[in-house]
Amino acid sequence: MVAFIGKSVSYLMPILAFVVAFEVFCRYVLSHPTVWAHDTALFLFGYIAALGGAYVQQQRAHINVDILYNKVSPRMRSLFNMVSFILALFFVLLVCKMSIGKFEEALKFNYRRQSEWAPHMHHYWLMMSVASGLLALQLVSDWVEECYHLLTGKQLLPENIRHTEEHA
Amino acid sequence: AEYNWRFANLYSRGTAFGAVYEGLAKNIEVMSNGRIKVQVLYSGEGVGSSGIFGAVKTGLITMGAPFQSLNAGELPAGIVEIGLPGGTNDVGDLSTLFYEKGWAPILKKAYGEQGLVWLDPYIQPAVYVITKKPINSIADFKGLKIRAPGAYGKFLRNLGASPVSLAWSEIYTSLSTGVIDGSIGSNMIDHRDGNHVEVAKYMYPLPLAGAQVLPIIVNQSAWNKLPTDLKAIVKAATAVHAQEQMTKSRLWESQAVADMEAKGLQWSPEPSAADKAAWKAAGAKLMDEYAAQDEYSKELIDILRKDQAND
Amino acid sequence: MISIEVLTGILFVCVIAAFALGAPVGLALGGIAMGIGYATWGEALFNVIPTTLEDTYFSFILLAIPLYIYMGQLLTRSGIGDAMFNASQMLIGRVRGSLAISVIVVCSMIGAMVGIIGAGIMTSGSIALKPMLDRGYDKRLALGVIMAGGGLGILIPPSIPMIMFASSTQNSVGRMFIGALIPALITIVLLIAYVVISCKLNPQRAPLDVAPDNPPTTKEKFLTARDGLLSLLLIIAVLGSIIMGIATPTESGAIGVVGAMILAILFKRFKPRMVQKAGMQAALLVSVAMWIIFGASVFSNFHLLMGVQSMVAGFTQDLGWPPIVVIMMFQVIMLLLGFIIDEFIIVLMCAPIFTPIAVSLGYDPIWFGILMILNIEIAVQTPPYGFALFYLKGIAPPGITMLDIYKSITPFVLIKLLVLIIVMLMPELVTWLPNKLMS
Ligand code: NA
Ligand code: NA
Repeated sequence: MVAFIGKSVSYLMPILAFVVAFEVFCRYVLSHPTVWAHDTALFLFGYIAALGGAYVQQQRAHINVDILYNKVSPRMRSLFNMVSFILALFFVLLVCKMSIGKFEEALKFNYRRQSEWAPHMHHYWLMMSVASGLLALQLVSDWVEECYHLLTGKQLLPENIRHTEEHA
Repeated sequence: AEYNWRFANLYSRGTAFGAVYEGLAKNIEVMSNGRIKVQVLYSGEGVGSSGIFGAVKTGLITMGAPFQSLNAGELPAGIVEIGLPGGTNDVGDLSTLFYEKGWAPILKKAYGEQGLVWLDPYIQPAVYVITKKPINSIADFKGLKIRAPGAYGKFLRNLGASPVSLAWSEIYTSLSTGVIDGSIGSNMIDHRDGNHVEVAKYMYPLPLAGAQVLPIIVNQSAWNKLPTDLKAIVKAATAVHAQEQMTKSRLWESQAVADMEAKGLQWSPEPSAADKAAWKAAGAKLMDEYAAQDEYSKELIDILRKDQAND
Repeated sequence: MISIEVLTGILFVCVIAAFALGAPVGLALGGIAMGIGYATWGEALFNVIPTTLEDTYFSFILLAIPLYIYMGQLLTRSGIGDAMFNASQMLIGRVRGSLAISVIVVCSMIGAMVGIIGAGIMTSGSIALKPMLDRGYDKRLALGVIMAGGGLGILIPPSIPMIMFASSTQNSVGRMFIGALIPALITIVLLIAYVVISCKLNPQRAPLDVAPDNPPTTKEKFLTARDGLLSLLLIIAVLGSIIMGIATPTESGAIGVVGAMILAILFKRFKPRMVQKAGMQAALLVSVAMWIIFGASVFSNFHLLMGVQSMVAGFTQDLGWPPIVVIMMFQVIMLLLGFIIDEFIIVLMCAPIFTPIAVSLGYDPIWFGILMILNIEIAVQTPPYGFALFYLKGIAPPGITMLDIYKSITPFVLIKLLVLIIVMLMPELVTWLPNKLMS
C-alpha cells in the first residue's frame, strides 16, 4: 500500500513539470495564461511531498543526524529508534488530527483557494489526513519491528521485504 | 497581564504600516491599564500572510489585521467588503454604507459564523497598476500580461488584459525580464517597497479600487472572555486606529509616489471620457459575478445596487 | 509564563537530544515544538500545524525544488549529466581536480538559474555527485564542492532572499543583484583555487583519469564535444528562458525538465522506465525535503509566536560599541539563528531590525544586505542544524554519514567565512560596481 502510493506519486512528477511548462507556453506563445495551472501545480507539489512521506519512512530515507547513532550497537540503535519514532508519531498523529479537522471545516464552509479559479480545498485536507495517517501507520509498524529487534536481537522482517512488503 | 493577546499583521517590522499596528497594540495596553498585553507579530513571524484569517479563527492568535483577498476562498464576502474594482473611494459614502445602510450587521454575521468578531474596519489607500509601457488608451491593455490576483485580475480581463498569477517575490524579476508587462500593488507603498519602478515606469492614473476597507478581527472565544469594560476599550482603540490609518496612509501614499517619481516614475496620459466609462463598465460586470457566488456577497451587493440606483 | 530565553534553551537541548538519537529531523522538530508547546501554551497551539502546512506547501517559490530536482534526476539517469562533465573535462584538460572545477562552474550556472538554496544543492548533487564518486574522487571533496556550489544560488542573481531584503529595507533590488556579483566571483575563484591547491597537496583526493590505452580517436572526441555542446544548450535554454522573459526562475525548472526529455530523445536514451525511475527518485527527494521544511517551519513558527524575535531585537538595544563590532555581532546573531530558522525568515526578521542600525552607523545598506546573504549561506550549512546539510544528506548515497558531511563542508565553510570577512573589511567590493553601473 505504502509502496503503491509511493510509486503512484512518482507519476505526478512529469505531470507537474508539464503543467508548469504548459502555463509558460500559454502565457508566452499564446499570450493567454490559464487560470488553473498555478493552483494545479501547487496541489500536485503538495500531493507529491505529503504522500511520499510514508514511503520515505518505509525506505528509512528521512534525514537524521547519525553521528552518535552510527557508533552504538544495533540493539541500542533500535532503542534510539523507538524513542524517536514515538516523537515522530506524536507529531504525525497531530498533523492527521488537524488535517481531519480542516477537512470537515473545508466541507462545512466550502473552502476554496483564493485565486480566480477558486478550486476546492477539501480534497487537499483529505489527502493530508491520508498521507499523515499512512505515515503514522508506517511509524507504528517500524516501531514494532524495532521493539522486536531490541528484545530478541533478530530482525522481524527479512531485509528485502523493505521493498516489496505491503504495509497497512 | 490578565489577558495576553497576540496580534498579527501583514507588514514587516519597521515599516510605516507596521508602526500603526504597533500603535494599536500599545493603545489597547495603555487604555486597559495593562490588563491586556498585546504582542505584535509582523510578516513571517509565526503565521504567513494568508494564514492570519485561519489563525485568528482557531485562536492560535487572538487578533489579526488580514487582507481579505488572501482569504477569498474562506470568506468570499470579504472581497465585496474590501471594495470591488470600480467602487467608491468616498470616505463618507463608505461610512454610510457600513454603518447606516446595513453592511456592518451582514459582515458581523458572516465573520461571526466563522468564530470571528468583526471590529471597526479601516481604510487603506487605492490600488494602482504599473506597466512597462505607457497606456495611452484602454485599448492598450489588450493582451498585456499583468500580475493581478482575484477580483483585480477579473477586472483587467474585462478590459482585455491577461491576468497572471505570480508569487509577490517574483514580481520584480518578472517585470525586469518581461515575463509580465505590468503588476498591481496593494497600494502605492507596496509598489515603492517592491522596487517596481526600477523595472516598470508607468503608473495608470485610474485606480482599480479607490479605497480598500480592511477589518480588524478577534477570536470569538477570546473576545467573550473579556469583561464589558475591556471590550469597550478594545473597540475604542480600534476606532482610534482607523483614524490613524486614514490620516497617515494618505501621507505615506503621497510620499511613496514622490519617492517613485524621484526614481523616474511617470504617469500614463489622462484617460479620455470613453476610457473612464469603459473602466467603470468593467467593474459593474463584476458585481453580478460576485453576487452569484455567495449568499453574504449577494446581500452586500444588493444594498450597494439599491444605493447606486438612488443616487 | 516561561521566559523566551529559558524556552529557547529548553528547545535547543531537546533538539540536540533528538539529533543525538538519530531521529528523523523534520518530524522530530515538529514533535518537540508541539510537545513543549502543549506544556507551555496548551492545545490551541496545535492549530499552528494547518496554517504552517498551507504556508509551506502552497509556496510557489518552493516549487523550484521539485522541478529542479526532477531535471537533475533526468539528466543523471539519461547520462546527459555525464556527457556534460566529460566534455568540460576534455576542455579543461588533465588537471587534477578538473572535474571538481567543472562542478563548481556548473553549480554557478545552476546558481544563476535558481533563487533558493535547496534547489541549487539538490540539482547540483543530482547531476554532479555520481560522476565525481565514480571517478574515485574523495567523497569529502565531492560533497563539499556540491554544497559550496549549490549554496551560490542565493548569491548569484536572481536571488529570492535579496528581493526580500530589498523590499523590507526599501532598497534597490537591481543594486543588490549587481553588488553581489563581485563577492560571488571572489567566492567562485577561491573555491576553484582551494580545489586546485588541495588536490596538488593531496593527489589521492582527485585521481586523474587513467590515460586510456589508445588515445581517443577524433570521432570519439567529436562525439564527446557534440554531447557536451548539446547539454550546454540545455543550460543556455534554461538561463535564456529566464533572461528573455519567457519564464520566471521558478518556472524555468519546468523548461529544464522538458529540455532534458528532448535531449534524452535526441541522445536515444529516452525510455519510459528511465522517466519513471527519475520521477520516483525525485518524488522521494521532494518528500524528504518538504517534510523537513514543514517540521522545521512548525518549530520556528512556534518559536516566533512565543516571541524569539523580541529577544533578537533586545540584543540590539544597548549599543555602546564601535560600529564594526556591532556589525560583527549582527553576523554572529544571524549565524546562531541559522541553527533554528530558515533563510527566508532570517531575512524577514533580521533585515528590518539590523539594517536601520547599520545605516545609522554610517554603513551602506546594500553592503549590509550582501553581508547578510553571505552570512545566511554559511548559516544554513553549519552543523548541527542547517537546511543545506539535510538537503545534501538527502541527495548523497546511503553510505555517507552526517559526520562525513560535517567534515566535508568545513574547508568550504571557512572559505565562505573568509569571503564574508573580506567583504566586511572592504565595502567597495559591493558598492563599487552598482555605483559605476547605476548612477
Ligand atoms: Na540565483
Ligand atoms: Na546552521
